[in-house]
Amino acid sequence: MDKKQKKVIVIGGGIAGLTAAWEMARKNIAVDIVEKADFLGGHAIQYSCKATDECRQCGACSVEAMLKNVVNEPLITVHLGTQVEKVNQNGQFEISLKAGDITNPNGEKCADAYETDPIGCAAARGYSRHNAMFYDAKGQLDPEKTGKTENLAADAIILASGFQPFPAEKKPTYNYGIFDNVITGMDLERCKRVHGGLFCPSDKRVPEKVAFIQCVGSRDERLGNLWCSQACCPYALRSAEALKYKYPDMDITIFYMDIQNTGKDYSVFYEKCRENLNFIRTIPVDMYKTEDDKIQTRFMDDEGKPTEDIFDLVVLSIGITPGADNKQLTEILGLELDEDGFFQASDILSPTLTVKEGIFIAGTAQGPKTIDVSMAHAGQAAREAIRFVREAK
Amino acid sequence: MNTETKPTVEMEEITINTDVLVIGGGPTGLKAGAEITESGYKVTLVEKTDTITPEDTSFEVLTGTCLVDNRGIPGDFTARLEKKGEIIERKVGAIVVATDACYEPLNEDYSLTLADNVVAQSELEASLGSNADDFDKKTVAFVTGFYRESNPLALERILNSALILQEQECTVYVYVNNIKVAADGLDRLYKEVRDNGGTYFKLETPPEITQDGADLTVTFEDPVLRRSMDLSPDLIVVEEAILPDDLNEGLAEILRIHTGPLGLLQKNNVHRFPVLSNREGIFVIGSARQTCGLSAALADAGNVALEVENLLGNGKRTAAKDQAVVDRDKCVICLTCYRCCPHGAIYWDNRAIISPVACQGCGICASECPMDAIQLGDFKDEEMQKAVKESVVAKSDEPNIVAFCCRNSALEAAEMASEFKMTLPAGLHMIEVPCAGKIDIDFIMNAFVEGADGVIVMACHAGNCKSEQGNTYAKWRVADAHRMMTETGFETERLQFVTLASNMGSEFSSIMADMEKTLKELGPSPLK
Repeated sequence: MDKKQKKVIVIGGGIAGLTAAWEMARKNIAVDIVEKADFLGGHAIQYSCKATDECRQCGACSVEAMLKNVVNEPLITVHLGTQVEKVNQNGQFEISLKAGDITNPNGEKCADAYETDPIGCAAARGYSRHNAMFYDAKGQLDPEKTGKTENLAADAIILASGFQPFPAEKKPTYNYGIFDNVITGMDLERCKRVHGGLFCPSDKRVPEKVAFIQCVGSRDERLGNLWCSQACCPYALRSAEALKYKYPDMDITIFYMDIQNTGKDYSVFYEKCRENLNFIRTIPVDMYKTEDDKIQTRFMDDEGKPTEDIFDLVVLSIGITPGADNKQLTEILGLELDEDGFFQASDILSPTLTVKEGIFIAGTAQGPKTIDVSMAHAGQAAREAIRFVREAK
Repeated sequence: MNTETKPTVEMEEITINTDVLVIGGGPTGLKAGAEITESGYKVTLVEKTDTITPEDTSFEVLTGTCLVDNRGIPGDFTARLEKKGEIIERKVGAIVVATDACYEPLNEDYSLTLADNVVAQSELEASLGSNADDFDKKTVAFVTGFYRESNPLALERILNSALILQEQECTVYVYVNNIKVAADGLDRLYKEVRDNGGTYFKLETPPEITQDGADLTVTFEDPVLRRSMDLSPDLIVVEEAILPDDLNEGLAEILRIHTGPLGLLQKNNVHRFPVLSNREGIFVIGSARQTCGLSAALADAGNVALEVENLLGNGKRTAAKDQAVVDRDKCVICLTCYRCCPHGAIYWDNRAIISPVACQGCGICASECPMDAIQLGDFKDEEMQKAVKESVVAKSDEPNIVAFCCRNSALEAAEMASEFKMTLPAGLHMIEVPCAGKIDIDFIMNAFVEGADGVIVMACHAGNCKSEQGNTYAKWRVADAHRMMTETGFETERLQFVTLASNMGSEFSSIMADMEKTLKELGPSPLK
């Protein structure tokens, strides 16, 4: 084998990027992870455990474990708060980095407040203790440890730039961002992750009656989003079951079009869900706020009659949509997007290959995926990249 | 929290066999064989049927061959294969199971008999492939997902057939409960069939179908028009269940691997995903482990190539010499350890022997051994008891809580809580264990004897234990301890069994707060 150290750059430090990086490092390949946010783990590290008395295979703990692997691996260098500016291919790939747009919504508020509100600011430090090593005592990214905007060289690139959760504001009748007690699945995850429970943003009380609305931003012809996000039925059903276990009196309704399968023992799990939760096969359109900050919805009931119901909290199961900077990345890397705006794979049987030799895709950059599927896809991408760098002279 | 630096562990180098056996000659097995060969390992692939396609591969293929027996440990398996009555032996370091799925028409669920006008999905696909013209302008009804949950693979087949039928100007109806569109491109395909004039009847209950020779009638409550409707299609296509290969059950027994839901060869445990089994060196891929399409199965083939290389490397492995050691003098070969080891890491030869390559260091065997003949290098009983004693000696005015924490979950959660400066009781002392299965009842009782006011046994959630049953053993032991406490009149509230995950820092903090509150109400331990 070639004695020269092989190097691969992974763009994106979410679960797919972490998995690909770790698998390559295990094969003695040096990896640089370029992550534009100020923490590793992407969206998945913000998810909470959805176990009841038993594990429901949501995979959130796998992200924690993979992050631990990566931060302790000497062959992996982490560049937080950076993004790719330019890529030249001259035998090797030459990549220049620039400072990233730090997208952590709580970052600014918490940067200096960590000393006074460490729990509230856990979110700003990347949700996991394994991200803590990149921060100083005040909660600022430590420039000694990460975030240098240097030039890198590599034998291959894995693009694992992930997805953008559907911006719920684009469905204005839900009044997300206007009504306190209309939240997204992402908000629910963060709340449970940081505080270990769920409460209504308006009064910090545990809600008694909760609605999940499926397919927000997915399978929506009006938006032109003609895909199923694949992850939202699993997360809504698992979250609802976990909430029901923690708060047995909570009344939970799922508004849906078609329930998608959740894991290997789906039939058994779904039976349980049907016992514990209310299922209504319609998607409500309008939300109104009552005087006591509850959310009133209108929908057609099973008999086809217009009905109203009032909930303490409405959770919008927002879908997986293409990354906000996908277009920019296609220009930098010379790749193509598919008709939905995700990165186009060039081979249907190995959807990690692209039209550019030496550039591979991993995870939700290629299309919607659950955590476990993202990890398997990233493994496949790592395998392709390893083959490529070993064959390269 | 005190984490003492452990003394340097003495390592040994073990030479292992790097040949690999692949079971199953479908596309997944063949791809895995090619990938593993490319990594530089010698592959033998066995296929139960007499042919594989393509016939030409870069590795050895034995057709008409089945695995009948397997002995040994990872890096040193002896597989016995049977080919037409003849036994062939292969020594291999790793085994990959890549059995395919099989399909079974579900006509009986709908009380239908397969006939010219009632066909299974596979049969329709064959007819469409050979003579699609025959379907000219027919009315075709598909039924799926009423008696058993459907899946995206089944839907994709229906939709692809529907498109071909629509080219023949057929009228297509799809009777379906939930439309399973959770796969790349399927929602688009679903809408394409609809835009071509296809009709979906989304029903909560199955349609009533009568089959009277050439006459078929489908009766159902139309959810849109909200009235009962009758349709008489020319052809009904029934869905097929995707079932694991018949070989799986036998293979699970021969290879000593656990079966999961539906008879798949992988438990529903996230630590196994994507391609691991409960035994080191035995991997499960594609339809052997999940209901999946070709693309996902081939992704598994890539993943298994990585795992095989992680295990076999260059044929040398280093392992801690004392990871788990059986005391020859104490062992009476009762085989308790052999039976309880979830990783199939134990064999015997005048005494029980633990394979350092296969052992995952969970310590279930050490705690179950009735002779106390097994010790883990990093977690010797003597050291554990010393740790218990020291944790209680460090007295404070606050209730003294000893928490046995599985290092895969509770210990991580504890460290998260402390990193994020969440509230933790002043009198809390954590003791790391490799798996809750290592928590002896002696450790628990000893903690009380030494003066702990409360003890918490912290394990992973059911189904999330890396060693499969470590949490179950811990739960049983706590139940035993509770019985003993009840008999002696000692408050059982002082001992709790809790499950949690590695990312539950705030839950860890609140569990501890609750425990502290309980102990304050109970007052100091009567044993103090």
